[in-house]
Amino acid sequence: MIMLIYAAIAIAFLILVIGLLQKPEALNPGDTFGEEGYAPRIGNGRWLDLSERIFDPSDSRWLQEELAFPKLAKELMVGRKRLAVQWLEALQASFDDLVRTPDFAPIETSESNAASGWRMLWLTVRFKLLVSYALLVVRLFGPYHRLIPSFSWVPFSSASERSFRRAALAVGRTSH
Amino acid sequence: MHGVRGACPSLVGFMQNVGMVISLFAFALVGIVLARGVVGKCFTLFPLFYSYMIYVFCGSTIMYLVYWLDPQVYRTAFWLYYLVSILVEFTVLVEISDQIFRRFPAIRNLGRAITVVISAIFGVFYVLPALLWSPGMATALLGFALRASVTKAVVLAALLVATRHYGSELGRNVAGLMLGFSIYLGINTANLAAARLFGRVLYGDIYWIMTPVGYTLCLLVWTIALWERSSVPNVGEMSPVVGGSSDAVALELTRFNSELSKLLHK
Repeated sequence: MIMLIYAAIAIAFLILVIGLLQKPEALNPGDTFGEEGYAPRIGNGRWLDLSERIFDPSDSRWLQEELAFPKLAKELMVGRKRLAVQWLEALQASFDDLVRTPDFAPIETSESNAASGWRMLWLTVRFKLLVSYALLVVRLFGPYHRLIPSFSWVPFSSASERSFRRAALAVGRTSH
Repeated sequence: MHGVRGACPSLVGFMQNVGMVISLFAFALVGIVLARGVVGKCFTLFPLFYSYMIYVFCGSTIMYLVYWLDPQVYRTAFWLYYLVSILVEFTVLVEISDQIFRRFPAIRNLGRAITVVISAIFGVFYVLPALLWSPGMATALLGFALRASVTKAVVLAALLVATRHYGSELGRNVAGLMLGFSIYLGINTANLAAARLFGRVLYGDIYWIMTPVGYTLCLLVWTIALWERSSVPNVGEMSPVVGGSSDAVALELTRFNSELSKLLHK
């Protein structure tokens, strides 16, 4: 039985290698988005403003609480959820384009270069983890849910926060 | 290394001769790969890989000398060399992992990170237990070699998937290194599993033939792939925002992270 498992592993591995060694299709930046002229880039201020509006719950609250249209508010939230997912996916695609940017300058193997390489890798991994987490939260709970959970319900945390603030205030007073 | 595996003194007759011929052919291929490395000036491009090839060449030469001069010592020397070689083979993986994202500053170290993380996890939870809790010495050695091969295969598969995900074109040299090594690992995994299952009596002779056959095939692919230095593959268009400089990419990565952090803290 164990022999069969390992033989299957070996065969599957060889098939995978041959399949993956096929020439990949060239990816061009912006291929992910069909609409021309829509370039989701971090330097694009309008695109960042869009995120402010997508993730802002005030429209939905206004519809639900002041105009008393809970159904409309719910529909708005569903639409905003879709937009939020698209926005985050666009951000991720734009980031992937950045990651795929080649550097043709001769590679120097100094210690500082190695350190900067690891730092860049950390930034890449960190972004990927955060964006995946954000996508998960938006998909599960909608765009108006806090992405970083609040610990205000923990009595210990609020008490310790208050005492921390008091101590900070005291330090501030004595220093002036 | 594996060139001399077929020359184990326990073999007799026809099988021993076949094993010896294959091993000598593999040894010749190692010499050719090294010679082409000198002619094609590939040494500087793949320093770890050629260090490994020099190790194999010198190791095989010493093993042949021991075999002819003192057959009594050969068995001990062989197993020692075999165990060290299992570990030294990881340098090929490190070389491959260093090469695949070489031109992408943001993920230049991704390959090495994948290799180190997978090897460490598998080493602690999968490979070491085979050495520590196997009933006998032979079972422990076979188990160690088998699990180390599976670990290398997993690393190589993960590297290939990452390469595919980022659309990195490998070029003839690196693709050849990967293909050759994966052929060797595939054959070796099946071979070691069979050896463990059927035991020395049933599978012993075939084992000593199959091991050099797998390694010879791998060396053939490496010889063809590294015959000459391939040009830098086309790695796609440059991003209009950053223009490809490492510093600009680092700055953009920081901006992406800070924007996302801001969003998460709202």
